[in-house]
Amino acid sequence: MMASAALLLAGCGPAEDTPVLTWYTNPDDGGQAAIAQKCSDAAGGAYRIETSILPNDAASQREQLTRRLAAGDTSMDIMSLDPPFIPELAEPGFLAVPPSEVAEATTRDTLEGALAGATWRDTLVTVPFWANTQLLWYRKSVVEEAGLDMDGPVTWDQMIQVARDQDKELGVQGARAEAMTVWLNALIESGGGQIIENPEAPADEVEIGLDSDAGRKAAEIISTIGTEGLGGPGLATQQENEAMLLFQGDSGSFMVNWPFVWPATNASAEDGAVPADLPEDIGWSVYPRTSGDTEPAPPLGGINLGVGAASEQQDLAWDAVECIVSPENQTEYFVTNGNPPSSASAFDDPSVRERFPMAETIRESLELAAPRPQTPYYNEVSTAIQQRYTPPASVDPETTPAETGQFIQEVLRGESLL
Amino acid sequence: MSSIPTTVPAVDAEAPDDPSGGRGRRKAPRSERARAEARLGWWLAGPAFFIMVAVIFYPVLQAFWDSLFSYRLTAPEEREFVGLSNYGVIFSDPVFWSALGVTTLITVVTVFVELILGFMLAMVMHKAIKSTRGLVRTVILVPYGIITVVSAFAWYYMFSIDSGYINNWFSWVPGFDGQLNWFAQGGSALFVIMFSEIWKTTPFISLLLLAGLAQVPDDLSEAAAVDGASWWQRLWRVILPNMKAAIMVAVLFRALDAFRVFDSIFIMTNGAYGTEVLSLLAYRTSIGRLEIGLGSAISVVLFLLVGLLALIAVKGFNVDLAGGRGGRK
Amino acid sequence: MSTETLTPEEAEGQRRARRAKRNTSIGWWVITIVVAVWCLFPVASILATSFKTPGELSNGKFLPDNPSTSNYEEILVGDSQELFLSALWNSIGISIIATLIAVVLATLCAYAIARLDFPGKKIVLTVSLMVSMFPVISLVTPLFNLWRSIGLYDTWPGLIIPYLSLTLPIAIWTLAAFFQQIPWELEQAAQVDGATPLQAFRKVIVPLAAPGVFTTAIIAFFIAWNDFVYGISLTSTEAARPVPAALAFFTGASQFESPTGAISAAAIIVTIPVVLLVMLFQKQIVAGLTSGAVKG
Repeated sequence: MMASAALLLAGCGPAEDTPVLTWYTNPDDGGQAAIAQKCSDAAGGAYRIETSILPNDAASQREQLTRRLAAGDTSMDIMSLDPPFIPELAEPGFLAVPPSEVAEATTRDTLEGALAGATWRDTLVTVPFWANTQLLWYRKSVVEEAGLDMDGPVTWDQMIQVARDQDKELGVQGARAEAMTVWLNALIESGGGQIIENPEAPADEVEIGLDSDAGRKAAEIISTIGTEGLGGPGLATQQENEAMLLFQGDSGSFMVNWPFVWPATNASAEDGAVPADLPEDIGWSVYPRTSGDTEPAPPLGGINLGVGAASEQQDLAWDAVECIVSPENQTEYFVTNGNPPSSASAFDDPSVRERFPMAETIRESLELAAPRPQTPYYNEVSTAIQQRYTPPASVDPETTPAETGQFIQEVLRGESLL
Repeated sequence: MSSIPTTVPAVDAEAPDDPSGGRGRRKAPRSERARAEARLGWWLAGPAFFIMVAVIFYPVLQAFWDSLFSYRLTAPEEREFVGLSNYGVIFSDPVFWSALGVTTLITVVTVFVELILGFMLAMVMHKAIKSTRGLVRTVILVPYGIITVVSAFAWYYMFSIDSGYINNWFSWVPGFDGQLNWFAQGGSALFVIMFSEIWKTTPFISLLLLAGLAQVPDDLSEAAAVDGASWWQRLWRVILPNMKAAIMVAVLFRALDAFRVFDSIFIMTNGAYGTEVLSLLAYRTSIGRLEIGLGSAISVVLFLLVGLLALIAVKGFNVDLAGGRGGRK
Repeated sequence: MSTETLTPEEAEGQRRARRAKRNTSIGWWVITIVVAVWCLFPVASILATSFKTPGELSNGKFLPDNPSTSNYEEILVGDSQELFLSALWNSIGISIIATLIAVVLATLCAYAIARLDFPGKKIVLTVSLMVSMFPVISLVTPLFNLWRSIGLYDTWPGLIIPYLSLTLPIAIWTLAAFFQQIPWELEQAAQVDGATPLQAFRKVIVPLAAPGVFTTAIIAFFIAWNDFVYGISLTSTEAARPVPAALAFFTGASQFESPTGAISAAAIIVTIPVVLLVMLFQKQIVAGLTSGAVKG
């Protein structure tokens, strides 16, 4: 650690008196680095933020951060954290608890869903920076032909029926990756169930809610899309980007996906990779419901900022966090990088609406969004689900939920490998 | 492929029947001069020896010690001694046996195919006419030198249903609709994985075999040809028997290397859909899940398996690894 | 020899021989081209991919429709510049240092093995063989724990030391084989002719040994350059992360978009040194890899 700190310092250049804060960021389009620069300038020499990039996928980000935190690394000043992994880091006390005035100032108008993902055991342990949610995207032409009213509630069964009738494909994420747990969780939560009944329980007492009515209905939806080939030929390896490509193609009908698809599709239309009038055929609404009489429970994503408990500059780090998550920065980050704010007021800026005409739907969706299970064993739970629910065609609504529940419990008790 | 043992160990006949007899000092009583020579020998060989031992043996002992505990990195205070029960979990779990099975399958298939392809390439390099020899040897070295991760990405992108073109190219094949998701089931995913491994490592095996080919006395083969032996007969009766040592060394090295396969699978499927191998299981358990105890136990098992393979091979082939001094001049 | 002095039969025979020779030659060129396509195809494939724009990635074709250098701009001057260039610098620096140390230590060790009689020689060779067969994955967790407690985690030395365990065994075996083929009597002969021991060593032995050492260095460099497991396990920032590990850090315009183009461009850049070394030193590398005399 000493040697690595020395290397870092050696690269710092002339301003040697200014304390340097390290911010571990998830890869983005340069937005976090820009905010770091802005806040460093605004600090007037109180601190300087240097960013250090983490791997591309959520699981590897967690790997890197957890290992360094467990080692008591003092350079972990600020970290961009994926909400599902926060309990694992909060439980052993790796995260510093924000001072009450910071907590108060940074969560004044935070959206409900985002706030839920920032706490552990009723204590705020991180500060929401941006929040993400999936919308239901549809091709207006397909919906028109089917005669669906997209302003009213839409269920998965309806979408499946349209895809069958018109010989189209549904853009969902069926790969063995985190996206699979995201999908399953949204399906179960909207059906009124929960993947874990008692998320704060110790490892050997966790109760799994997969084998419930909601759980079996969720498995049935996944299984139907898989076995009938409604998710396209690439479903078993399909993540967010691949689902978007499918949706953009001739067989596209509906898709559940994050808002990045809007700027990405527009860019492709400008490049000529997809028809120039494709964006005009795309509509959006809130995430579909698992059944007609329940509320939708859209997936919640995003990034929260945490401060390492071993950091030697915690006060400065919290100052910096307060600067980073300001509504203006959140607005700018949304406009430049396409990542929606966690603060309600950040949606009001006119530039937001210009770039993301669906901003109001996103805000609405974030109010409804349900976090993934908040447990210190999230990695085990999610990996087990990914292994058993992929490929989607292999899911059997009668047996998969019960078997997966048992498998998760065995893994948590240390009786099975994962 | 993490480390490539690239060279052929000096496989030596028991006692080198060297006419010059070395320097004839092998059995001499230990004189002052011999002691000085021994000292100098260790001064020169010591640093390299010490580093290798330190980098390997300390971690092995540590891994074995850790494997006796139930120890999760994020819950250090719950660490407790559990004896050999981590090994019990491993050996009673189908995940381990399936990973062992896949690892073995990859090892057997790739080594077998590489041996045949490698021999063909070695023949090409050996016999090539002067004007093409340099070119052949240069292109064969490209897969050898390329980074395994790069090779894995190249093959992955080629076959991927989203960014690939292989499906398009072969959509004329009857019964193949051009919509195959190669990485969605074990069979086709392993096919691509093994294909890329074979592409990457055949050059290594063919160079070892080339060394063996060079040892086959030309006059023997010519004599057989004069006696009316067909090309096929010469291959089986003269060439291959004379290359036995080279073939065995090639198989030994490549098999041990293939058994540790990690990079390609990590990139292409990350172990999904029946492509899990032992190295990946060890990595995911100790680095991904931070289960140091269980992960160390898998590492120890993997290490013992490789050791066992090596032992069987060395004993079975009766290879004298250390060779001798002064035998070759 | 001119044709008119030949009988028709002789002329016919010569023509046939010439044709046969030409046929063999054509045959060899066909074989060479087949081998070249097999060996270079994946490289060409990723080269073609590296010139595709994000929209073209799924066009299902080998070649891009409108080749674009945007992926190279992304990693060399764009957003991924810091990530890629620091990784490239780490890879080059760490691999070269690990190679140099391995070659120096292995030269001493191999000299001792080839020239001196000392107890334990066999142990040195056996241990280095064991080390070269070792499953690297078994080492990373203990090394990670040790490195972070002594401050080597995420540093250059933290990778150089484990790289030595990959490069030393190969270097020792290759060099020992080389040195055993050197006619050391020449050194004595030179001394008899009046040269000092140092002169004899420098003028006679060094020129004979240098090609072997050089070849060993190239092979060792390839191995260090290729490492992935240590790279992803023992680093966590730009301070020491090598290129193969950094490829997993690329991202598209947003975190959900595939970084296929950027990865392909980076892959091509790190393959250039390999291709150059192979083209320049083909003879030496083949000699090095086939040097350990195989006797049965």
